[in-house]
Amino acid sequence: MGRSRSTVNFLRIVMSTPLPRLGHPDLVFGLGLRTVHYTHILEEEPDIDWFEIISENYMDSQGRPRHVLNRIAERYPLVMHGVSLSIGSTDPLDHTYLKKLKKLAAEIKPHWVSDHLCWTGVAGKNTHDLLPMLLTEHSLNHVIERIRIVQDVLERRFVFENPSSYVGFTGSTLTEWEFLTRMAVEADCGLLLDVNNVYVSSRNHEFDPEEFIDAIPANRVVQIHLAGHTDCDTHLIDTHDHPVIDQVWDLYRKAVARCGPVSTLLEWDANIPPFPDLHAEVLKAKHQLRPESERVKEPGEDLAKTDSSSVPHPLHHNKVEVQ
Amino acid sequence: MKHNDLDRVQRWMHAVITHPDGIVAGADADKARELLDAGAGNLESIVTRSTHLTAAERLAIYGNAYYSRLIDCTGEVFPVLKRTLGEEVFNGFVFGYLQNYPSTSYTLHHLGRNFVGYLSETRPEDAQWSDFLIDLARLEWEIYDVFDGPGLEEKESFEFESLLEIDPARWLNLRFKTAPCLRLLTTKYPVNNHYTLVRGTDEAIEIPFPGPEPENIAISRRDYVVRRYHLSLPQYVLLTELQKGEPLGIALESCADAAQNDPSINLEHDLTNWFSYWSSEQSFFENISGESESQFS
Repeated sequence: MGRSRSTVNFLRIVMSTPLPRLGHPDLVFGLGLRTVHYTHILEEEPDIDWFEIISENYMDSQGRPRHVLNRIAERYPLVMHGVSLSIGSTDPLDHTYLKKLKKLAAEIKPHWVSDHLCWTGVAGKNTHDLLPMLLTEHSLNHVIERIRIVQDVLERRFVFENPSSYVGFTGSTLTEWEFLTRMAVEADCGLLLDVNNVYVSSRNHEFDPEEFIDAIPANRVVQIHLAGHTDCDTHLIDTHDHPVIDQVWDLYRKAVARCGPVSTLLEWDANIPPFPDLHAEVLKAKHQLRPESERVKEPGEDLAKTDSSSVPHPLHHNKVEVQ
Repeated sequence: MKHNDLDRVQRWMHAVITHPDGIVAGADADKARELLDAGAGNLESIVTRSTHLTAAERLAIYGNAYYSRLIDCTGEVFPVLKRTLGEEVFNGFVFGYLQNYPSTSYTLHHLGRNFVGYLSETRPEDAQWSDFLIDLARLEWEIYDVFDGPGLEEKESFEFESLLEIDPARWLNLRFKTAPCLRLLTTKYPVNNHYTLVRGTDEAIEIPFPGPEPENIAISRRDYVVRRYHLSLPQYVLLTELQKGEPLGIALESCADAAQNDPSINLEHDLTNWFSYWSSEQSFFENISGESESQFS
């Protein structure tokens, strides 16, 4: 019996191996651009390789955030990272949002534009959270079709991140890594591999995180996210307010071994330290990529923050300056 | 039965995690049961459990985060109101607000846009203090909106001297294009003073609600920082008329009417000072035009 047309198509796409990182550059070690660091960055021009911005914080901005961004864009490479595309929602795509996203990208010229494999709301309501997908063939086709529309509108390949998740659905028929792999290959998009999210989800859903890393299409990984999480004993929560722990560094090394050098970003969204401290934290990634004999372990590195009352990291919000 | 209808699962999960009384009440509510008739007793037919957490406990992570995150974000938009009310009372107001006005926007910047309206709609009829809270919320929303809205920073600034270069015979027909960031408020309570007082006082010190006293306020922005100005009633009337697009002559008539009962105001003398000051602040006017709409600056 011959293969179905869709299977042949799938195999054909898999066989045509894309360039590493889909041809995007390795921007090396970057940080998320946060309001509290604006003044330091503008005055000190720190020697950071690149910044990631939250797209929604700038797409409507006509005040200081946008002014600062324009100045930073003159000096540093940028990438755009969104939280509201809601690619997995059954609501229609928001074309006003896409138009604004495209306009911002045209103006600040990021190396790539990313968001999350998730849905943020339905029936016109936005929870401003990254909600987990029901992982089925139908969901996969739904997401692939929408990614193609987004990529057509934006006239660029999009990049999608694996979010942390806290629930799974009995109706799911695919693993997250199967879903991500087929989505990336069939929609011809990139992946933002958040290794902390892989670890958090692996603990919450009781799977082997290395199986996840081994399965994803390495050449489609355009960027890696690192972050800290909170151990609530019965589950982990992605809080972005703590240093990266040893187990996540292990996954990071494994990911880099599979994907090759790839732009790496440290996320920190609550209790944000001074810029130099955060910069030092992301540079630990460089240290972590050295051979084991050259790595010095710092006390407490393998410990996650413990707090049973944590909630997932807040979505970033611009702070007002007023006299 | 395994539930695999994407739309139903999403609508069901949304209904459950946003229910104000929690996951169990949300799952048992008609809204959720009409989508997936599981109820709280059968949540694990839809959501898997883990070794350590039940389906309800796992869903509660999203449920708790929903209100917690959006209440925190709203508190960042109304920080002085939050401090004035105390965190618990403020959070209670926002909790009610989010149930009546859930976010429908891609951006958190729109989250607080109906809060003033919500406070007005739910205002107790016999509670005067609620007018103070509504006034304070209005002030904070305008400050927030002005901060990231359009401004004059990238434009050539309006100079008072450009007004003096125009033939005085034409002044009464001049129209002032006010700055896009200029907001004019009149309040029943002195909320601008209260705002200054709260921000300049240690958080441990409780500041009482002020008594009623009308206040006129201009909010604008220069160098990307929001500025607040106390206005006299004639100043407020004059700027309001100019903002509406009325020619200077009409605006001055209204201003003179407003100044009639205020012996401290000498319009002939004060007007020059006012326009000179507003021009120097570079946050009130964008340009001026004559009847032909040609721009002078």
